Amino acid sequence: MTTSGPAIPVDAVMAELHERVRDRLRQELLQHGASRALEDPQVFAEVERVLRDAASRTATRALLLPDLLGDPASWRLEPALAISSHRGAMTASLIRGVKQRVLMPVLRWLFEYSHDNFVRQQRVNQVLFACVQELAIENAELRRDLATLRK
Amino acid sequence: MKLACVVHRYGADIAGGSEAHCRQLAERLSVRHDVTVLTTCAKDYVTWANAYPAGASRINGVNVVRFPVRRPRRLKAFADLSDEVFDTRASAERQEAWFRENGPDTPALLDHLRAHGTEYDLVIFWSYRYYPAYFGVPIVAERAVLVPTAEEDPAIGLDVLEDYFKKPAGYLFLTPEEEDLVSRRAGRRLAPAAIVGAGLEPVGATTTRANVVPDPGPRIPDPVLLYLGRVDRNKGCHTLFEYFEQHLAEGGGDATLVLAGPAKIPIPSHPRIKALGFVDDATRDALLARARALVVPSPYESLSIALLEGWNHGVPALVNGACAVLAGQARRANGGLSYRSAKEFSAGLDWLLAHEREARIIGTQGRAYVDREYRWPVVMARVEALLELVAAARGTRRDHVSTPLSSTGA
Repeated sequence: MTTSGPAIPVDAVMAELHERVRDRLRQELLQHGASRALEDPQVFAEVERVLRDAASRTATRALLLPDLLGDPASWRLEPALAISSHRGAMTASLIRGVKQRVLMPVLRWLFEYSHDNFVRQQRVNQVLFACVQELAIENAELRRDLATLRK
Repeated sequence: MKLACVVHRYGADIAGGSEAHCRQLAERLSVRHDVTVLTTCAKDYVTWANAYPAGASRINGVNVVRFPVRRPRRLKAFADLSDEVFDTRASAERQEAWFRENGPDTPALLDHLRAHGTEYDLVIFWSYRYYPAYFGVPIVAERAVLVPTAEEDPAIGLDVLEDYFKKPAGYLFLTPEEEDLVSRRAGRRLAPAAIVGAGLEPVGATTTRANVVPDPGPRIPDPVLLYLGRVDRNKGCHTLFEYFEQHLAEGGGDATLVLAGPAKIPIPSHPRIKALGFVDDATRDALLARARALVVPSPYESLSIALLEGWNHGVPALVNGACAVLAGQARRANGGLSYRSAKEFSAGLDWLLAHEREARIIGTQGRAYVDREYRWPVVMARVEALLELVAAARGTRRDHVSTPLSSTGA
């Protein structure tokens, strides 16, 4: 890079483009009945920032809500299909064999369709967990700042 | 130095990114060093079925020793285990089981490292996610150099990696974003390390814009938005199709999306989407010489060679901004625009097509970036310096080797 900087700084181009896109999106949302609070471009930009940040922090291990929800078996999606049987050892083995070798190949398309949708739903859940967490953080910080101001 | 390069697949006919990176480095390192590649008999990256004979051979001046894969990958078990360990706080044992299922399961390669590892000055491992690198690094940790090829995918979140990433004696990263990602997982800055990227040869005179090879295959209307590589869901192609069709439906410009690479997913039937399948190097160069922009929609990348190839030809890029590596490369190079939604994709594409002169300047800026950072002499100087530093430091305390090589610019 020369000392005079690039001939065309892409950051500047993208900032302009993204601003234009954001404004168009804001208008569309308002036309379809979104809150009038979004008429203020600054409010819209801030809302977008918070949600975008949240959506980029969806790793399960970075989220608090899964811990607070307790027993994962009561809320977590299980995209993987476990083939099992509650019968005695011999019968169970036979039933598992039939399920695995006969039923599964026949139902493979249905399993894959459901699996993909479960995975998508799981992603949406994680994004929503992350959004709630981000809003809770913002709320906690605002409460703290408000308390400081009151003092 | 006597060097070993450990990689999950190896060969001139292997197309994978990390495998090609290993081969290119091994061949260049073999000019100055005694290099042996330790790899598997696998060719297929899905099943890992043994395809090459086990034992020693020589490929392009490099000694290669292949070890048999004990069993092919069990796809159902692997998919189920992936669901389990990525979505829950699975135990360390289950996470290690994931690395075994991911394969290629090659215990003989690990036995070789146990028996002969100390005979090498350094052992360079590619791709932490595969069995040889994951289980091999701890065996020769004091002389191991890791090329993680890490991406922001679910595997990087596995807890066991925090300890694993601290084990090697040195690191070769492909981008600053990859270094940040791996350091974040390790919980500290990893050193000694170098950001080396991958090398490209300058484009030959026959493929400049002034000397364009005629249409490859069916007639393709200009302007061309080019996609290079495997047409695959993992590469973000399904989203690319959706965004591109939406762009056209909403009255976007008259670009033609040209896909140059083998298709692994159905391609929409649309007069403005042309799938050429696998193309040879000459056709690829001709397409790059003709393209008005290169699109890179992948959500996961540790380094995009297609992006560098585009810049090598002076083609401006339109990249998926959700991928930190792509967005970072485009920004550092001043060589492309990024998008995070259908609307931003459309706006970026419209801008690149409507501002032809400016778009070309952006492409030229990308080429200047490749000239600065991704020519082989630059890359190999960084690799050699890091290897010498690690070799010299071996046997001393790790915290005496705390100065990383330059992390800037790459």
